Amino acid sequence: MQCAGPPVCCCCCAFLGATRSDVHTSVCFWTRLKKMAASSGVKVPRNFRLLEELEEGQKGEGDGTVSWGLEDDEDMTLTRWTGMIIGPARTNYENRIYSLKVECGPRYPETAPTVRFVTKISMNGINNSNGTVDSRSIPILAKWQNSYSIKIVLQELRRLMMSKENMKLPQPPEGQTYST
Amino acid sequence: MAEQGAADLGNNNNNKPEASEGTIIKVTVKTPKDKEEIAIAEDASVTQFKEEISKRFKAKQDQLVLIFAGKILKDGDSLSQHGIKDGLTVHLVIKTAHNTSASSSTSNQGGNSTTSSPAANPITSLSHRLSPAGGFGDLASLAGLGMGSANFMELQQQMQRQLMSNPEMLSQIMENPLVQNMMSNPDLMRQMIMANPQMQQLMERNPEISHMLNNPELMRQTMELARNPAMMQEMMRNQDRALSNLESIPGGYNALRRMYTDIQEPMFSAAREQFGNNPFSALGGNSDSGAQPSRTENREPLPNPWGPPNSSNPSESGGGTTGSTSTSGATNPSVSNPLGVNPGSMFNSPGMQSLLQQISENPQLMQNMLSAPYMRSMMQSLAQNPELASQVMMNNPLFAGNPQLQEQFRSQLPIFLQQMQNPEALSVMANPRAMQALMQIQQGLQTLQTEAPGLMPSLMTSGIPGVPTGGAVPAENPASSPRNGTVRDHTHILKLPPYQTPEVRFQTQLDQLNAMGFINREANLQALIATGGDINAAIERLLGSQPS
Repeated sequence: MQCAGPPVCCCCCAFLGATRSDVHTSVCFWTRLKKMAASSGVKVPRNFRLLEELEEGQKGEGDGTVSWGLEDDEDMTLTRWTGMIIGPARTNYENRIYSLKVECGPRYPETAPTVRFVTKISMNGINNSNGTVDSRSIPILAKWQNSYSIKIVLQELRRLMMSKENMKLPQPPEGQTYST
Repeated sequence: MAEQGAADLGNNNNNKPEASEGTIIKVTVKTPKDKEEIAIAEDASVTQFKEEISKRFKAKQDQLVLIFAGKILKDGDSLSQHGIKDGLTVHLVIKTAHNTSASSSTSNQGGNSTTSSPAANPITSLSHRLSPAGGFGDLASLAGLGMGSANFMELQQQMQRQLMSNPEMLSQIMENPLVQNMMSNPDLMRQMIMANPQMQQLMERNPEISHMLNNPELMRQTMELARNPAMMQEMMRNQDRALSNLESIPGGYNALRRMYTDIQEPMFSAAREQFGNNPFSALGGNSDSGAQPSRTENREPLPNPWGPPNSSNPSESGGGTTGSTSTSGATNPSVSNPLGVNPGSMFNSPGMQSLLQQISENPQLMQNMLSAPYMRSMMQSLAQNPELASQVMMNNPLFAGNPQLQEQFRSQLPIFLQQMQNPEALSVMANPRAMQALMQIQQGLQTLQTEAPGLMPSLMTSGIPGVPTGGAVPAENPASSPRNGTVRDHTHILKLPPYQTPEVRFQTQLDQLNAMGFINREANLQALIATGGDINAAIERLLGSQPS
């Protein structure tokens, strides 16, 4: 399906009913539209945002220390995402790969996503027994803005790994995951 | 469907030709450090992809971990399964060897507790571990008997376990005059503690610690304590009691926590790092013990009603014990100093030889190790005291059964010691390139030896270092030249560059930092010196010193 620029409403309908691959096509065009919209203060629909983030995740934007993508490629709701953080050097997280699950609810990006570590980790703000990230202890989750994204959440978590209070925390043996 | 989407995507963005099954796609592979574009067939498997990557990045396939869109790519998968298409980026992590020690050590520990591992194997395998320190090398290969593990970390843990399980060994070590000598020298102890850069950092942050370290009275008490394990245990127990008492005071618990995190932890991990995660190394009667009790002593003075008369005990050993129980094997092997763990049998080579292997992998280690002042003073005291040194050697149980070795070693000993004193020798050892060159030479010699055994004797006589052959036959090697000959020749051969000031050495790095916007030359230089010229680490240091 080629999006050549029909009126917004038509495209929206088609868009929401479209399959993912079609959606991919739409993204590029609508990315531009969205940017225009965002600059004029219009709220960006959830799916647009998530698709954009999907594309970004696949293109590997950023410095290569975090990665994210849909947990299930067929997930039309674009709700469940997996993320990866590569532990920063010169900390106790060094050279480890942390797997996370990010859930973007129906009110994303107005509300923050819920984040949960799958790989066991010892870090302030992360629940020791199930890996859930406490939204109140991670600053960007506590003060979420809709311009934030999954990438920013992952990068922020990585930055927190480098903080003095976290970097020297003794870590569980590599390769362990939470059971939930 | 997906393909069509990709094609359209391509058309919309880049006007690339439509991709179809079996064509080559270009995938960007990105590591935190660099990125490469790799061409691979669209329907390739992850294994094939990794093959390409291992060639390009010069790493082994099993060291590679690939991540795409938040998922780890397993070898059995195919690229298309994960939706990897032309122009997309895959993240790569290259796992370096020492970071997988956590998993390997757990598997090896099971086998290590028995010392019945066949003696032959370690010897032959150890003979391959050529050591730049020729003298060490001989001993290293010899003393590998019975200890089969390769990883120094495991060995440390093993030694620790042995120590713990064998109190006689412990008291033997303590009784060793060398140890006692060390212990009774407060200057030495202080030097040792201060030599650790982490400790220095800690001291900057907490001036009380440096104050404490400078107080000779306190140091002496501390060392008394260290000498007497029973007394130390007693003290720890008392402190535990005091600690639990503290908890009941309102607000006291928080104060404790604060103390723990602010002071004890960095110190603990600093000590731990230096001695290779050996929380019980203190019991081995080494300088870490200076750190531990001194750490416990120097807290905000909380009077301990049950305290033994000689110390004003503050309280965190409870925290200390919890800290040690939560130690896991994985972090920061860095310089694991065999001296630290067991000075009594310093040439106890399982430690030595894997240290040497680690050294060859990381020449920086050697430099760190040798530049530590305690090393110098240790060498000095050894040199001044050949009796002592030989005693040390003899005490080493591994030598006990082999008088021939002892003889040989004894004769080499004075030369060896002298050699250690020679600053030239030390600077050779500290020069990573020199070490590498030495390694190469030795490896070459060994090859030569296997290829052309007749050639060796003539080479030997010209003073090139004798290759430390397999541990079983050191005696046959008349020119396993004493270390001095080796090093002097090498010095001559290698023509070491003269020592340059840090400013000169780091000139390029300084310029780079300047260009990046770090205008404070002083701070830059400090950071570069501290990190040994590593720009990234220096930047982190510089940034870390600002509030984050």
